[in-house]
Amino acid sequence: MSDKRKLTKDEKKLMREIFWSSFMLEASYNYERQQALGYSIGMWPAIKRYYKNEKDRAEALERHMNIFNTTPHVVTTITGVATALEKEASENPSFDKKIINNVKIGLMGPFAGIGDSLFWGTLRIIAVGIGLSLAQQGSILGPILFLLLFNVPHMLVRYYGGVFGYKFGTKIMDQANNSGIMQKISKGATIVGLMVIGAMTASMVKLESSLVFTIGDEKIPMQEYLDQIFPLLLPLLYTILMFYLLKKGMKPTTILLVTIAIGIIGSLIGII
Amino acid sequence: MQTALIVGIILALLWFIEKMLGTPMVIRPIVVSTIIGAALGDVQTGLLVGATLELVFMGFIQVGGAVPPDVLVGAGLGTAYAIIGNNGAEVALALALPIALLAQSIKVLVFIIRSWFMDYAMKLAKAANIKGMINLNVGGLLLHCALYFVVGFVAILFGSNAVEAFVNNIPDAIMNGLEVAGGLLPAVGFALLLLPMMKKTNVLYFLLGFSLLAYMNIPILGITLFGVVLAFIIVYEFGGKNGGDQDTTDKEDEEELFDV
Repeated sequence: MSDKRKLTKDEKKLMREIFWSSFMLEASYNYERQQALGYSIGMWPAIKRYYKNEKDRAEALERHMNIFNTTPHVVTTITGVATALEKEASENPSFDKKIINNVKIGLMGPFAGIGDSLFWGTLRIIAVGIGLSLAQQGSILGPILFLLLFNVPHMLVRYYGGVFGYKFGTKIMDQANNSGIMQKISKGATIVGLMVIGAMTASMVKLESSLVFTIGDEKIPMQEYLDQIFPLLLPLLYTILMFYLLKKGMKPTTILLVTIAIGIIGSLIGII
Repeated sequence: MQTALIVGIILALLWFIEKMLGTPMVIRPIVVSTIIGAALGDVQTGLLVGATLELVFMGFIQVGGAVPPDVLVGAGLGTAYAIIGNNGAEVALALALPIALLAQSIKVLVFIIRSWFMDYAMKLAKAANIKGMINLNVGGLLLHCALYFVVGFVAILFGSNAVEAFVNNIPDAIMNGLEVAGGLLPAVGFALLLLPMMKKTNVLYFLLGFSLLAYMNIPILGITLFGVVLAFIIVYEFGGKNGGDQDTTDKEDEEELFDV
């Protein structure tokens, strides 16, 4: 089951080739086939290794021109799996080549889900959180640190994801389903992501009431009372309201414009 | 003229890097504004504008096929206009948003044009012409970069004066309001991030992260670590129906997966 064997020298070379060919995935992103062209090019190291005549190579390239879309940072894991399948297909004439695309389609959805929440939702947010405070202080380290914090894990996942996908090859789907790995990673990533976004919301969304009630001679600033109940209550409520409106199908751009209007009008009449 | 060239080249170049190197996030405002700032001789303003815009554009990411407002053009031009006119982050924000919304259509246009290329790509694949496929792939990217160059160049060359006149006429009260709105806008970004993730069953994790910061002021990295530990406990210790009785091979597989 679990493939603990070391890769051969030639396989390591293949892994490096897959890594380097994976970067152009979205160069020609389009509506018709999304990332297909980039993906097919990314399969070339495997195709040229396993198929020696032109007809087979053409057939394989064409096979991978099927519509494809996943999170770019995790694509090599799928390339790795497909590489193992192509190897099998090239050695075993009775292997049904339709399986290759079926497995790819089965993987690209879950990987897009995990990849988006890990890379866009969590890693990027952490990198922003750390880079931002430095940038706000005017330090050039801010953007540099942001890029490093994002891209070091990005490169590691890009390379080792390929190795991992290749090793698991045909068995990954069975195993993934048996032990529910996909669901577990997805659930874990969601928990971390939600907590990080929660923390970022608290630290970055700014909304304070400048209302002051006057009862008798006493002036009561609204914000002080709110802080005693729940600090940062207003940013929290506003974010949840935004979430609710999006959920109801309101367009993000409309909400942005409304938010700007609220900011301007609110500060003009002096409530925030 | 020179400034317009520089801005155009930066936009085209950053997009080229972004899509040739597997989306390494060089088109995020925190990077774009800093580079524009450095090129136009005001790194400090670039950094501050970048920090402000990064928050506002937080939720604008391309996930799936939907095209978000164009962060690169919005941040790039917004920062350039702010620096050229000696203005601050509020002006950059006021300009970057509408520009990003307008520029959205550049991507839509490119995605449509490149759809036409796909017939040709299929022909190349059928001929096993990998060199042709790579050239076409890079060609499609260069087309996009060229459009960004033209947009950046034209917008700065012909737009700077008009924009400056417009900005100088914005009343102070509106500028204050924009500052308030700047603090509020990240809420939209975070809500967009939450949209595919948060459900009734897991809303408490969001609240937990929020409260840890609101009440205890724990740094974000610390909250992330708590999150990782908590996720591990919940997924593995209380890991649902098959959590307790997995055989050892499965566990090894999972550990290997986490090593990745």
